[in-house]
Amino acid sequence: MPFAKAMRISSRSELFGFLVTNRRPFSPLNRLEYAGPFITRDQRRQKRGRVRKQLRFWELMRRSLRIIVWLCLLVFVVPNSAHAYVGPGAGFALAGSFFAVFAAIFSAFLMLLTWPARLLIRHFWGRKAPAKARFKRVVILGLDGLDHELTAKMLEEGQLPNLAKLRDQGGFQSLRSTLPPISPVAWSSFQTGVNPGKHNIFDFLVPDEQTYLPKMSSVEIRAPKKIWRLGKWALPFTRSDIRLLRKSKPFWSILSDYGIFSCILRVPITFPPEKLHGVQLSAMCVPDLRGTQGEFTRFTTKPLEQDKTYGGDVVAVTRHGKVVSCELAGPPHPSKPKLGPLKVTLQITIKDQNQATLKVGGETLVLRRGEYTDWVSVTFRSGFSIRVSGVCKFLLLSVEPDFELYVTPINIDPEKPAMQIGYPSVYPIYLAKRQGPYATLGLAEDTWGLNEQVLSDDHFYQQCHNTDLERESMFFDALDKVPRGLCVCVFDGTDRMQHMFWRYHDQQHPARPAEIPALHANAIGDLYQRMDQLVGRTMEKCEGTDTMLMVLSDHGFNSFRRGIDLNRWLEENGYLKVDDARRGEDYLAGIDWQKTRAFAIGLTGIFLNLKDRFSQGIVEDGDEANQLRNEIVERLSGLIDPLTETKAFRRIYQAAMVYSGPYKNQAPDLIIGYERGYRVSWEAANGQTSRDVFHSNTRAWSGDHCVDPSVVPGVLFCSQSLLTEQPRLVDIGPTVLDLFGIAAPAYMDGKALSIGERNGSADHAVETTPVTVT
Amino acid sequence: MSDLTIRATTQLNQIANGIGRLLLSPLGSLPAFFGAVVVAIVTGILMLIAFKYTSHQSAMKKIRSGIKAELLALSLFKDSIAVSLGSQWRIVAGALKSILVSLIPIACMIVPVTLLLGQLSLWWQARPLQVGEDTVITLNLAGNEKSSWPEVDLEPSPAVQTNVGPVRIRSKRSICWNLQALEPGYHNLVFHVDGQNVEKQLAVGQHPMRTSIQRPAWNWTDVVLYPAEPPFDPKSPVKSIEIQYPPSSGWATGTQSWLIFWFIGSTIVAFCFRGVFKVTL
Repeated sequence: MPFAKAMRISSRSELFGFLVTNRRPFSPLNRLEYAGPFITRDQRRQKRGRVRKQLRFWELMRRSLRIIVWLCLLVFVVPNSAHAYVGPGAGFALAGSFFAVFAAIFSAFLMLLTWPARLLIRHFWGRKAPAKARFKRVVILGLDGLDHELTAKMLEEGQLPNLAKLRDQGGFQSLRSTLPPISPVAWSSFQTGVNPGKHNIFDFLVPDEQTYLPKMSSVEIRAPKKIWRLGKWALPFTRSDIRLLRKSKPFWSILSDYGIFSCILRVPITFPPEKLHGVQLSAMCVPDLRGTQGEFTRFTTKPLEQDKTYGGDVVAVTRHGKVVSCELAGPPHPSKPKLGPLKVTLQITIKDQNQATLKVGGETLVLRRGEYTDWVSVTFRSGFSIRVSGVCKFLLLSVEPDFELYVTPINIDPEKPAMQIGYPSVYPIYLAKRQGPYATLGLAEDTWGLNEQVLSDDHFYQQCHNTDLERESMFFDALDKVPRGLCVCVFDGTDRMQHMFWRYHDQQHPARPAEIPALHANAIGDLYQRMDQLVGRTMEKCEGTDTMLMVLSDHGFNSFRRGIDLNRWLEENGYLKVDDARRGEDYLAGIDWQKTRAFAIGLTGIFLNLKDRFSQGIVEDGDEANQLRNEIVERLSGLIDPLTETKAFRRIYQAAMVYSGPYKNQAPDLIIGYERGYRVSWEAANGQTSRDVFHSNTRAWSGDHCVDPSVVPGVLFCSQSLLTEQPRLVDIGPTVLDLFGIAAPAYMDGKALSIGERNGSADHAVETTPVTVT
Repeated sequence: MSDLTIRATTQLNQIANGIGRLLLSPLGSLPAFFGAVVVAIVTGILMLIAFKYTSHQSAMKKIRSGIKAELLALSLFKDSIAVSLGSQWRIVAGALKSILVSLIPIACMIVPVTLLLGQLSLWWQARPLQVGEDTVITLNLAGNEKSSWPEVDLEPSPAVQTNVGPVRIRSKRSICWNLQALEPGYHNLVFHVDGQNVEKQLAVGQHPMRTSIQRPAWNWTDVVLYPAEPPFDPKSPVKSIEIQYPPSSGWATGTQSWLIFWFIGSTIVAFCFRGVFKVTL
C-alpha cells in the first residue's frame, strides 16, 4: 500500500498537559456504583443483589461509607460552628463545582443580556439568504460505499425497514458518482459541487513532478519554517505548515457566509479543517502520530519474515520468563531527527494463556486474549518541554507458543491534539470530553491489519463496530446541538467493511475460503441492516423537527477479483522501460525515465511522461501527447482477460475531455473505467512492474469501487420526494444551498435537485440533469 | 450530641494533641507566614492523596469531563439559546453530581481534618500573653441562677499576678479575674471550687505557642473547637474556663484569616499537584 509509508510527515508537536490515565470503562457496574441514589428502591435492591454476588467486599465498603455519609450529613444538619471544619475534601468539590456553576450562570446571564443585541446585529448587518429556507435543518447522513444495487435488492426483500420507510416517505434513487468513483474524489465533489477539474482531487495519490514519488493529493505538510540549529539539535519554533490541496469552496462555507450554522462530521477531504460558521471534525487524510495514514505495530517472538509487511511495523521481541519488554515507536524526534522516532516503553507480564498485564506510562492495564483494550493514552516525551500525546488500543493475539501483541495505529489524542483536526480547534476536545477518546485517524479502521493477516475477521469487525458507535455518539450529539442549520456526518465503516468482507458475499471470489465463518457469512447483509437501524434511530431523532433528512453514499461497491498491472501492460507494449532487477520495488523505483512514455501509479489511471509536467519527461505536449493517448486508449480498450475471456475495461477516459476547470491538467492523462470485478493490481498501484498483466486477488481486501462509475452508483434517500431523475453527487451541494434559499454559484457544476413540497407537489419543474461523466 | 460522642472526641483530641505537639512544634520557631505555607502544602498534598483513594475517580473524571464539555459547548453552539441553556443546566447538574460523588471522601476526611484544624487553631487562633500583659480569665459555673453559689478562689502563682477579682457575675454564673503575666512559659492555673481543684493552662511568651483559649464544657462543639484540654465533667460544678488571649496578627496566621488562608492555600496546592498524583478533583 503506497499510502501508509508515503504519508510520513515530519510534524513536530509540542503539547502541554498531563498524561491522561487509562480510562476505566464506564460499565453499567460502575454506573451503579455512583448512580445509586438516583434509582428507585426496587431497582436498587435488584441491582444490589447482582452486584453483591460479584463484589461483596466493595458492597460492604460502600455500605460503611454510606453510613459515614449519613452521619456526616446529620452533623451538617445540626447547626453549630463546627461547620467551618469541612476541610479541603469539600473544598475540592466545592471549588471545582463553584467554578462550573459560576461559569454557567455568568454565561447564561451574558447570553441573555447580549441576545437582543446579537439578534439586531444579525438582522440588520448579517448577510441574509435571498429566499426563505424551506427547512430549519438539513441532515445528511453519508454511508460511504452503500451500493445501489444491493440496497435495492435488500429493500425489495424487506430487509431494510427503516430505509424503506424513508423511501416511502420521500424517495430513493441511485446517485451518480464521480470519475473515478473513489472516496476522496467523490466526497470532494459532494462538498464543492464541482467536477475534479475544479477541485483538484483525482486520486488518493499523485506522483511528485520532480521525483515521481507518490504524494498525498489532498494535503501538503511542510516542515516548520523557523528552525534553530545548535549542533546536532534542531529546534523548530513554528508548527508544521499543513495545507489543504482541495480547491474550490465547500457548500457549507457558502452557508457560513449567510450565517447558517453547520456541523460537519468526518466528511473525507476536510483536513486540515477550514474555517466555517459552525463546527467540523476532519476525516480522511488525518495522519496518525507517526505521520502515516495508519501504521499498526505487531510485537512478536516469531522470527521475522523476509516479505515486506504493508501498513505496519513488525517488531521482534524476546520473552524473558513471563516478561516481554518492548518499545512502541511514536512520532519522529522533534529536535534530533537522526535519533529516530520517540518511543514509549511497554512491559508485558504474562499471567496465563489468556491474560497478561501491560505497563505503559505508569499505568497498568489488563490484556485479555482476543479483546481490545479501551483507548490507552501514550505520551511520547523529549526532554522536559516536549510531550506528544496519542491514543491507541492493544490486542493480545497470542501467548503460546509465540507471544503476539497488536497495537492499532497511534491516533492523535483528541483531548490534546498534536495538530488541528477540527474547527474550531476545541471541537475535537469537546467531543473527547463528552464521550471519551475516539479514533481520529483519517482511515480509522485498520484494513491493512486484516489484509496482512495480523488481525482476524472478528478483530477487524470489532474495530469497525466500535468506530461506528463512536461516530454515532458524536452524530447524535450534533443532532441535539444543531436544531437549525446543516448537519452532515459520514460513516465510512461501510466502505471498509465491504472492502474486507466482500469475499464472503461474492461466491466466485478468488479469496473466498473453502469454509466460511458462520459469523461473517452474511457480513455485508448484516452491515446494511446495521446501517438501516442507524437510519431508523436518526429518523427518530429528527422526528417532530422541521428537518429534511438525506441518506446518501458516494459510490457503490463491487467485487475485486482480478487486478490489472497497467505498468506491465505498458512495458509489454513498449511504453515503459524498467530495470528487470528492480521491477519489484515500490514507487516506480526501477523505471528508466528516458525510455518511458507512460506509467501508472495509484488507483485511477495512466500518466504520460510529459516534458512540461515531469522533471524527466520525454513526451511533448500537443500532438505527440494526443496521439499517444489515443493510441493507448485504442490498444488498451481491447484487452481481454485470458482467464475469463471478457473485456477488462468498460471505458477509458481522456482527462482533458471529461474534466473542466483550472486543475484538469493535474489529473492522470487517462482514467480507467474498469469492468465489474476488475481493478488496478496491487503491484501497479504501488508503482511496481510485475511479470504478469492479470493477477487474481487473493487478499482479504476483496471488494472495491475503483471501476467505471456506471458500475457503482451510490444511493440517495430523501425524506421529501425527489423529482429529479438521475441525481448526481455534485448536485447535493447546490440542492442544500437551494433548500436554505441560496442560489448555487455559477461555477458549480451541480444543479439543485427538485425536491417535492411537504404536501407532495413539486416546487421545481421536473427536470433531467445532464450527466457529467459519460 | 451524646456522651459517647463527646468521650470519643475527647479521646481523639488526646491522640491529636500528642501528634500535633510533635509535628506542629516547628511552628513555634518558623516565621508565621512560612509555617502557614508549609502547613498548607503538606496538608493539601495529604488531602489530595486521601481524596484519590477514597473517591470514585472514574465517576469523578466522567462528571468533570462532562462539565468541561458543556463549558466548551457554550462557546461552540452559542447560536441556539435553547442549546446554551441546556448546557448551562447540565453544568449545574454536573456540579451537583460532583458534590454528591465527593461526599464519601468528605466523610472520610472530615474527622482527621477537623482534628488537624483543632490543633492549628491552638497555634493561630490567638497569640500568647506577653510578660507584663493583662488578661481576663472567666470561670463559668454549671447550674442555673437558682443553683447554689460555690466557694471559688484562684491559687496564687508566681507566673501571674491578680490585679482585680474575683468578680462575680451572678446573672451569668461567671467569676472573672484580671491577671497580669509575670513569667514566660506554659503554666497551670489552679482554681479551688468547693474544695475541688480544677486547672487551666496559660501560655506566656514572645514567640508563637499553643494557646488553649478555653477549657471546654461538656459540649461536643466546644470539645471540637478547643481540643487542648479535657472538657469538664457534666457533674463538675465548673462548666468552662476561658482566657482572653490577644488576637493573632498577620494575614496568613491572623485570628480572622488563618482558616481562610489554610483553606484556600491547601485547595490551591491540591489543584496544582493533581496532575502529579493523577487525581481528578
